[in-house]
Amino acid sequence: MGRTVSSITQTFLKERAAFARFRRALRSSDQRVLDDLFASARKHLSAASYASHALPFETFLLSMLLEEHKEIIRLRQEVAEIRHVIQQ
Amino acid sequence: MSSSNELHGWLLDIYPDPAQGVILWLLDEDGIRRHRLHQPFPTAFYVHGDNGSLRTLWRYLKSLSLPVQLSRVEQQDLFKEQPLPVLEVLTETPCAQEQLFHHLKTSFPDLTYYNADIPLALRYAAQTHTFPLARCRVLATDGGEIEALETLDTPWMIDTPPVPLLVMVLTPDCNPDHKEPVELKVYLEGKHYLFPFKEERGLLIKLRALLRRYDPDLLLTVWGDKWLITKLHQLMEKHQITLPLSREQGRGVERREERFYHSYGRVIYRGPQARLFGRIHISTENTVMYHDYGLEGVFEMARVTSLRIQTAARVSPGTGISSMQILTALRQGVLVPWHKQQVERFKTAYSLLQADRGGLVYQPTIGLHSQVAEIDFISMYPSIMEHFNVSPETVGKGGANGTFVPELEMTIDQDHRGLVPDTLQPLLEKRIKLKQALAGMNPKDARYLPYKAQSSAHKWLLVTCFGYLGYKNARFGRIEAHEAVTAYGREALLRAKEAAEDLGYRVLHMYVDGLWVQKEGASKVADFQPLLEEILDRTGLPISLDGIYQWIAFLSSRPDPRVPVANRYFGLFQNGTWKVRGIEVRRDDTSRWVKNIQLEMLNLLADAPDAGKLVEQLPRIHTLLQTRLAALREQKVPLVDLLISQKLSRTLGEYKVLSPAARAAAQLEEIGKHLIPGQRVRFLYTRGKPGVYAWDLPERPDPGAININRYAELLCRAAFTILQPLGVEEQTLRWWMFTNAGYGAPPGFLPDSCSQEIPLLGDLFSPAPHLPPIIL
Repeated sequence: MGRTVSSITQTFLKERAAFARFRRALRSSDQRVLDDLFASARKHLSAASYASHALPFETFLLSMLLEEHKEIIRLRQEVAEIRHVIQQ
Repeated sequence: MSSSNELHGWLLDIYPDPAQGVILWLLDEDGIRRHRLHQPFPTAFYVHGDNGSLRTLWRYLKSLSLPVQLSRVEQQDLFKEQPLPVLEVLTETPCAQEQLFHHLKTSFPDLTYYNADIPLALRYAAQTHTFPLARCRVLATDGGEIEALETLDTPWMIDTPPVPLLVMVLTPDCNPDHKEPVELKVYLEGKHYLFPFKEERGLLIKLRALLRRYDPDLLLTVWGDKWLITKLHQLMEKHQITLPLSREQGRGVERREERFYHSYGRVIYRGPQARLFGRIHISTENTVMYHDYGLEGVFEMARVTSLRIQTAARVSPGTGISSMQILTALRQGVLVPWHKQQVERFKTAYSLLQADRGGLVYQPTIGLHSQVAEIDFISMYPSIMEHFNVSPETVGKGGANGTFVPELEMTIDQDHRGLVPDTLQPLLEKRIKLKQALAGMNPKDARYLPYKAQSSAHKWLLVTCFGYLGYKNARFGRIEAHEAVTAYGREALLRAKEAAEDLGYRVLHMYVDGLWVQKEGASKVADFQPLLEEILDRTGLPISLDGIYQWIAFLSSRPDPRVPVANRYFGLFQNGTWKVRGIEVRRDDTSRWVKNIQLEMLNLLADAPDAGKLVEQLPRIHTLLQTRLAALREQKVPLVDLLISQKLSRTLGEYKVLSPAARAAAQLEEIGKHLIPGQRVRFLYTRGKPGVYAWDLPERPDPGAININRYAELLCRAAFTILQPLGVEEQTLRWWMFTNAGYGAPPGFLPDSCSQEIPLLGDLFSPAPHLPPIIL
C-alpha cells in the first residue's frame, strides 16, 4: 500500500514471529504465558508507533513490563483490601 | 447586424464544439425555455523544454499549417521561484487543442506539457466564474452567440434557490444482471407510463414522443449506463428510429468503457458510462455515492468542483478535489502540469522513520462504558492544511515567518498562501456553516435534507483532499505535505489527550481525529464544554462534541479476546441514535437477515434504562434468537434476505482456491454472464457442493437446498458480537441458540461481570478477561 516503513502492527507481528522457535520449544503452559506477554505488548502499539523507536522490540518489552507492573499494583491493592477485611 | 438579447437563467451543460468553440445550455428563469448558446473559445497550452527542442517543436508546428498562434512567454510553475520560459500554443477551439496535444504527446514525449488536459468546464469556469446550475446573465445575439456572460451567484452560498429542472425517470422493471427486463417504467411530471420491451417499435415511438414533447433536462435512469442506454441503442439501430437522447441535434451518446483499478488494496469497479449533450444523464447505479447524497449531492459536487454535472456524478471525490485545485491554479495564473513532477526529497533513515506514519490509532479499553462523550476535530486534516498553510509548495520552505512541523525537521512557509489551503478555505467555511445550521435544525425542516446531502458531498471531497497530497499521481501532491499533515494531526490528538487528562477526564479511546472521554458525574453537554474550549485553545483547531453515549461497548478482536480493536464498537447516544462501527450490521457482505436480527438485538438493548440494566434484556434476546432460528429452519425466511453480496477481488483464473464469491461468479460465467474484478456477486449458501448458488442465475434455487447451519453460524457470530460486552460467553450463547435450553443459563456460564452494575475498566487496572487457567 505504498508504505516505506512498515506499520507498527506489521513490525509487532514480525517480531513475534521471530520468536516462533523459542515459543515452540517451551512447555505448552509456558507458551500460554508467553502469549499473554505478547498480548499485553499489543495494548500499547499506538504509543510504540508514536515513539517510532529504531529498535521497536525494546518498546514492546517495556510495554510488557508496564502491564506486568499494573498487575502488581492491582494485586497489591487487592491484598491490602483483603488484609483490611481480615483485620476487621 | 444582429441585436443583443439579455437572458437570465441557470447553466445546465457545457461542452466543446469543433466549429463553434464552446456550447452552453441555459435554462431560462421562466422555467420553460432552454437556450443553446455558443462562444468562440481559443484555448492555449504550454510546453517547456530546452531551447533546441522547443525550436524543433516550433518549426514542426509551423510546418503543419494549422491555425495556431505560437509565442514565447513566461509563466509561473507552482514549485519554481522564478517564472518559467515556455512556448504558448494557442489553438482556435478546445477541440483543436485536445487533438493537437494528443498528437504532440506521442511525437514529442520528452517535453513538459502544461494546461494540456484540462476539461473545458474548468477552463471556462476559470475565466467566467461559472459553475453548473449557476445563475447567469447573458448577452447573446439572435444567433445565440454569447457577447457577455456574468455569473450572479457563487457555489459557496448555502441557500441556493431550487432550479426548476424537468426530470424524466427511466427504470427497467428488474435488475438486468438478474434477468431480462420486461417493461420500462417512465416517470415524468407526476405521471407514469409502462412500455413493454417486447413492443420494440412502440416503445421507441412513445419514448421519442415524450422526449420531444417534454424535452426533459435530466434523465435519471436506473441501470442506464450499464444496460438501458445500450439497449435503447440496439433497438434504435434495429428499427431505424432515432431517439433524441441528447438535446443537441446530431450528437448521439458519448460512451466510455467499464474498467477497474486498485486503490489502497481494494479493487474498485467503474461501470461503463453514457453521457449526453445538452441533457443531463445520471445513472443511479454508476453515480458515486448516490445512495449517500442523492441528486442534491450530485449537484453540490458539480457546483463546488465546476465539473459538468454528468462528469461530477461519475468521478471519484479525488478527481473532484483535483479539479478544484486546477481551478485555483488557473485563476492564479499558475501552470497546471500534465503529469506530476515532484519527487520525494532526500531523507535520512531516521527522518523517514519519524515521518512515514499515519494518524494515531489507539487501542480502546475493551468493554462496556457508560456516559462517554465523543469529541471530534471538525474535518481535522483539511483544517490542519488550512490553518497551518500546508501545501506542496509551502512545505520545506522557511521564509521569514516559517513554522516548524512537530516531530519532523521541516518548516512551512507562512509568507505565501498555499494553493491547497486556498482551494480548501471556502469549502471548509461552507461545511462549518452547514454543520452549524444543521445542529439546531428540526429534521422536518425543508432545508434539512438538502443541507445534509451537501454536507455529505463536502465530506468526501475533504476526506480525499488529504490523500491527494501524498498520492503518486496527484498534480499538486508532495509526500512531505502529506507527512506534515499527519504529524500535526498526531500532535493535536496528543494535546487533546493531555488537555482531557489535565481536566480529570478519562480517555477511553482515540482514533485519528476523535477521542472518547468519560468523567465521574459528567453526563450533559455543558459538562464537556470546558474540555472543548481547552482543546481549541491548545491546538487551534475547531472541535465539536459529536454526542454523549448512554453507553458504548468497545469490542475485542475475534480471534483473541485480550486484544482490543480500534474500530469495532457500538454505542447508544443519549438521543436514542446508534453509532456502530466494524460489526456485521455495517458490513456489505452480511445478509439482510443477519443484519436485521442484529439491529433487533440492539433495539432490545436500547430499551434498557441504563447500562447497568442491559443484562435484564437478555431473556428477550434469547427469545428473539430462538424465534428467528426457528423461522430459518422452517424455511420462512425470504431467500432474498439470505443473499450474501461479495466483491470479486481478481479475475476467476487468478484464484488459487475459489472463494464462495468466485464459485458463484464461475456459475454465472458458465451461462455467459461475465463479471470483472471489483464487481459484486450475490449468492446463497447451499448444502453440498459447490456450496453456493449465484442469485443472478436465471432460475430460483430450491429453498430446501439452503445451508441452514451456515446461516445459523453466521447469526451466532453476529449475536456474539453484541452479547460479548455484556459478559455472555460464546459457549453460553451456543447453548441458548442451538439447544432447547431456556434462558436460565447453567451456573458458571454467566460470569459475574454480567451481574455487576457496569464492568468499568479503569485506566490502570484492566481486569483480565476470561482467560483459560494457567498451570505453572
